[in-house]
Amino acid sequence: MDDDRSRGLEQTSGATPPVIAGERIRHWPAGTVLAGLGLVFAAIAASLVMWLAVDQRLVKDVALQLHDQTVPWTLERQRLARNLEELRFGGQSVLTAGDQGRREEAFFLIRVLAAHPSMGDDPRVAVLVAEVESFLAQIVSGASKPDMARWEALSNRLRLLADDLSVEGGQRMTVELARMTDAMNQARYKLLFNLILVGAFLASFLVILQRFLIRPLQRIHASLTTLDPHGPVPQPAPLAMAEIHVVEKAIVRFHETLRENEDVRRKLERLATTDSLTGLPNRRHFMGLAAAEMARAARYGRPITVGIADLDHFKQVNDRFGHSAGDHVLQVFAALLAETLRQTDLVCRYGGEEFAFIFPETAPEEAMRLAGRLRLRLADRPVVLADGQVLQVTVSMGLADGAGRGLEECLARADQALYEAKDRGRDRIVVVEAGHEGVLMPP
Amino acid sequence: MGCSAGREAVQSRGTGLESVKKHIETNFNVAQNAILHILIVLVLSAVSWLAHAAEPVLRVAVLNHSPPMSYTDPAGKLTGFNVEIMHALCEAMNARCEPVSVTLERVVDAVAAGEFDFAAVSLLATPERRARVLMTRPYYRSISVWFARPGVRPGDGRVALVKGGVQYRYGTAHAWSVIPVENHDGIATALHQGTADATLLPMATALALQQDPRIRGLGLTTAVLRDPELAGDVCLSVNPRSPELADKLNEAIDLIKRDGRFDRINSRFIPFRLQ
Repeated sequence: MDDDRSRGLEQTSGATPPVIAGERIRHWPAGTVLAGLGLVFAAIAASLVMWLAVDQRLVKDVALQLHDQTVPWTLERQRLARNLEELRFGGQSVLTAGDQGRREEAFFLIRVLAAHPSMGDDPRVAVLVAEVESFLAQIVSGASKPDMARWEALSNRLRLLADDLSVEGGQRMTVELARMTDAMNQARYKLLFNLILVGAFLASFLVILQRFLIRPLQRIHASLTTLDPHGPVPQPAPLAMAEIHVVEKAIVRFHETLRENEDVRRKLERLATTDSLTGLPNRRHFMGLAAAEMARAARYGRPITVGIADLDHFKQVNDRFGHSAGDHVLQVFAALLAETLRQTDLVCRYGGEEFAFIFPETAPEEAMRLAGRLRLRLADRPVVLADGQVLQVTVSMGLADGAGRGLEECLARADQALYEAKDRGRDRIVVVEAGHEGVLMPP
Repeated sequence: MGCSAGREAVQSRGTGLESVKKHIETNFNVAQNAILHILIVLVLSAVSWLAHAAEPVLRVAVLNHSPPMSYTDPAGKLTGFNVEIMHALCEAMNARCEPVSVTLERVVDAVAAGEFDFAAVSLLATPERRARVLMTRPYYRSISVWFARPGVRPGDGRVALVKGGVQYRYGTAHAWSVIPVENHDGIATALHQGTADATLLPMATALALQQDPRIRGLGLTTAVLRDPELAGDVCLSVNPRSPELADKLNEAIDLIKRDGRFDRINSRFIPFRLQ
């Protein structure tokens, strides 16, 4: 944990801002992107509609042509065919008439029909009708006798031509209907293609929306819900819309601010809880921790020992070698405490050259041994001052059994034991056990 | 016995009252039903009258005595190709038409003056007529046929012509000796009576004249005059102040030529298809 914290400190203390991926990539505003996509879609849709409109127009044109021209033309063709049949019947009447009067009467219809403008509409009709009229005119005028074989030939030609005229309209309509059908089929294929294209465009649009808007929003959501000043720096997506990118950059800055605040908070906490000279917990912090340990021991009926130590003749060290030397002695002693005591033990600089101890889960006998080991180590490690002088520092210590007692009471008893140790000549440890107050332990 | 007779009398009186009551009830029911029926008839009549009144009434000029286009049949009914076409057109336009007989000479003047909404008279669409009245789209084409006693050529003899026709105009323009007549029936009369030696008349009317028993024995010769003035598109004339009616008539002509009504009427009056 300390390593993590130190790494965090290094990151925040550096002047280099966190590297944001995709910083150099241009990020488009969502509105612009959506408007652009909309325009592209509209342009494509308009093109497709125009593409379809070509076929629709063709269908409409053919239908109009069918309605306005081909159907009337077909009907006229059928009427013309009917008139050819009338001509044929009239010719038959001319040939079979019993007298000249009836012959001329029958020929009158032939003459009127042959002269009608509609007979000139088709060259085949005009030629054949002229031939028929001429043939019949010669018979009516008596210039020639009825030639039935030739009339049969002419009559057959009239019948065939009438048949041709009757079906020509149908053929023309069939051709135009085929054109219309082709155009409609083409329009259907185009419509299908257009639907596929529109579908593909919509799918692409959704993919773009998912990738550049929804997924970044989900990422933002995840970043915000798991935002941790000790965690890694959130990385903005390289390809995101401008608004998303701005939010992601804001999250990065927010993370940075959180981490700086955390560092400051830790510094303040350390300043508030530790002694600046020795690095040990200060008295206030110690009292809080100690009270908790005492309460826990009391709750579970566990052994606990409270102690107070005081460096012997420390005032003389200050007077003789200066306060810096005194401070150095205190620092060396604090380092020795850190090396010697167990991790579960609590110690603080109680004031001046006094130190307070809590030995959780420890009976006074065991605490006595621990304190003895401390005293011996101090004896084995003289303090070397800055000017090279060597000082032999000793410590007096009072221990009190904390089981079933309050912290203040225990500290007072330990302090009393410390006075006893001082009175006994210093460099020794005095323990006050429960029910055995005033028992002195030998150095 | 006496009591019994009294009861019967009472019963008889009672039966008589019931009978009267039933009679009154029956009469009342009959009267009620009659009133109901009268009301229904009145309502239906009113609806019919209103529907009928909603239809526009068009005054239509038609010829008479001009078979087979317009004539009065033996039953006294005005009929003929143009008359039946008029009915078909009016039916197609959902309009009620009121045919009024006029002479050919008055047709263009009357239509131009707005006396008629349109004329169901076959008129060759000449520029002079187009300048005075609206013309529908052509509904067939016509030619002119020369009927004459043997040896009489166009320009010779007395020529009976219907006043107001293209043929009349042609004859007068060519300084023929014109015998003016009011209608095509008058031509047959003139030829039959010998007041005319020849005539020039439209194709369809010529067909009817040729069948007229009054001239069958005259041994008339026939010829088709191919002068462009005497042939061409045949149209209906429309009041020049009713262009929308001309449009409706055009649509109606198109419709009846498509749905077969035109051809069925054609078959009734003319031996070949009008085109």
